[in-house]
Amino acid sequence: MGDPAGISLRRVSKSFEARGKLTEALREVNLACAPGSFTALIGPSGCGKSTILRLALGLETASGGEIAVAGKPPAEATGGGITGVAFQDAALLPWRSVEANVALPLDVLGRDRKPYRDKIAELIELVGLAGYEHALPAELSGGMRQRVAIARALVTRPEVLFLDEPFGALDQILRRQMNIELQRIWMESRATTLLVTHGIDEAVFLADRVVVMASRPGRITRVIDIDLPRPRRPELFNDPAFHRLEAEIAGALDGH
Amino acid sequence: MPSRLRPFVGPLLILVLWEIAGRFGLVASGALPAPSAILARLAVDWSDYPGHIFATLFGAGLGFLIGNGIAIAAGVLFALYPVTSRVARGLNVALFALPPIAISPILVLTFSDPVPRVVLAAIGCYFVTMTATLVGLTQADARSVDVVRAYGGGRFKVLALVQARIALPVILSGLRIAAPNAVLGSILAEFGGGGRWGLGVYLLGSLGRGEPDRLWGIGLVATLIAGLAYLAFVVLARAVTGSSQAVTVPTSVLRSTDRPRPAWQQGLIVLASIALPLALWWALLAVLKVPAMLAKTPPALYDYLFGLPGSPATQAKLVAALAQTLPMTLLGMVAGLAIAFVLALGTQLTPRLIRALLPVALVTQTMPLVALTPLLVLLVGRGPAVILWVTISVTFFPAFVTMAQGLLLVPRAALELPRAYGATVWQQLRLVSVPASLPYLFAATRLTAPRALLGVMIAEWLATGTGLGNLLNQSRGYLDYGMIWAVAVLSVLVSVAFYQAVVLVERRVLGRLGMAVAE
Repeated sequence: MGDPAGISLRRVSKSFEARGKLTEALREVNLACAPGSFTALIGPSGCGKSTILRLALGLETASGGEIAVAGKPPAEATGGGITGVAFQDAALLPWRSVEANVALPLDVLGRDRKPYRDKIAELIELVGLAGYEHALPAELSGGMRQRVAIARALVTRPEVLFLDEPFGALDQILRRQMNIELQRIWMESRATTLLVTHGIDEAVFLADRVVVMASRPGRITRVIDIDLPRPRRPELFNDPAFHRLEAEIAGALDGH
Repeated sequence: MPSRLRPFVGPLLILVLWEIAGRFGLVASGALPAPSAILARLAVDWSDYPGHIFATLFGAGLGFLIGNGIAIAAGVLFALYPVTSRVARGLNVALFALPPIAISPILVLTFSDPVPRVVLAAIGCYFVTMTATLVGLTQADARSVDVVRAYGGGRFKVLALVQARIALPVILSGLRIAAPNAVLGSILAEFGGGGRWGLGVYLLGSLGRGEPDRLWGIGLVATLIAGLAYLAFVVLARAVTGSSQAVTVPTSVLRSTDRPRPAWQQGLIVLASIALPLALWWALLAVLKVPAMLAKTPPALYDYLFGLPGSPATQAKLVAALAQTLPMTLLGMVAGLAIAFVLALGTQLTPRLIRALLPVALVTQTMPLVALTPLLVLLVGRGPAVILWVTISVTFFPAFVTMAQGLLLVPRAALELPRAYGATVWQQLRLVSVPASLPYLFAATRLTAPRALLGVMIAEWLATGTGLGNLLNQSRGYLDYGMIWAVAVLSVLVSVAFYQAVVLVERRVLGRLGMAVAE
């Protein structure tokens, strides 16, 4: 099942038990992301959008249903180095330099760092941190740390990329800049991407398709295609077509 | 005044007052000698010291290495496989709660020097370092752990890449506390008798002769050794922690991946946890082939307590001793904790208080209990008052430090919110500070209870001639092995029961308030 490098969820459910009470985080979620596509998940807090991502990464196990990443079960896909991930927090290891933090996935996967030397340098350059290779995370600003996390997500040349509100902690100005950079990076790598976000503008600007979710229980309520041509430029943020799509998503979030 | 000199003013003032008090015999009719007199005596006695110091340090050092080695290995095991920590819980609590003085006679009668020293020093290190290792390994930032797991990293990868490095400073701070404990354990082993060398032997010998200046000298040397051991790890920890301070505030704690187990499995784990210490006790005696007359296995002890013609008399003696020991321990603890609680809340009002009290607290924490007790005996006499003072001094400082430092962790915003609505200082204390300090009050009670019992038993042994401590000392004199074992096991049980009771209340109260247990 599933495509070579796509993501597929079939009737996936997940419930948590906390303090003796059963909470239904996800109910019968169906989602298929074609290879090379960019999908944004958007919804209110607690609708289970991050849970979908954690399930696909094998960080949680589903209570029911089937999940495939590049046609494989999540544990196999992540252990095979097919995936890349960036979280809302950069989650850098404070004792590792920028370079060593970018190389962390290689250490986890047990790969030799040497063949990746050029790739690491190239990624650090790509995210605009050339010259900071040996800096420690404490010496960087919040935006710079987040860029290290993006570089780290790309180091294995992932076919599938998971982004969990990667710019959620950044201010609006920096966030726009990072969105533009991310689009450029994505267009070069063409990895299947699943982005979890709170930002309607971010979702419309980046994604081919926006999946709107509702909570209690977490479920998908609408899927909206974004057929704006690429590369999308910063001016797009002021385009009437862009605003129409934003309004449509906002409406869907309100339950229309 | 140059600000560099300011920290030295307080201690200097104390020293001057001490000198005056000593010179004129102002305290307890000369029981407090002047620092100059203590130093002079130290110079006279100096040739005696190297042998005693070496004997104590050798046992402490070897025990420190062995005990911490086992502790770190155990901590890693418990972190990797949480179920093992639950099975070993009974053993861990027993090792933490057992008053070293209780098993000192057994060890001395069973083994030859330096085994008893090494064993007690190792036991003194075990719990502290094991807990530090476990806490250090499991407190790793959930987000960093997620990154490793998101690339298919298993528990060993997480351990090697994230947890080990994060745990290092925590383990070092554990070793810092373990070091004085090892010295204390080594000295307590000498209480069992038989030896010629060691600071404990020297102390016991001098106690009978009523020479305050020598007693103070030995006490200060023991404190200095323990303090230097403590300091060595402070320096080491500072060198390590420099680069590993967290960059951002963690937003989530590591969720337990332990799935809920069926009731029969839960029961089995609890049963195993209780059976493990007993099985180990039995197995050790069997493996070491200790003669049956010396060593009491669990059934032999049961027989001694309930099956022999003399058993009712034995039981009466034990109950009478317990009735003397327990009330004093509880009273002293409650007083010590209450004072600590009030003063810790006081630091919220005047933060300078904590800076003034912290150095004193550190000295008393590193001062071996055995050195402190004889000095208190000198100061307040051999009556029941000395027991009270020992318990208060044993509980007060650790409790104060735990609570004051805990309160420092309360976010500023939480403190300022009531103020922003015009709350008075008292309302702020009631609404924020008191509830916030509860986890630390419980932690302090839990952690100081066994120490309080140990302090009482030392005081009873050395000074008052009452209670469990005295019964132990007497039985040692009569070579009444059954009674020695009975007192040892009873005091461990009392200590464990008390610890367990605090844990139960703590979980219930904090659970209801939705707070986490502080380590």
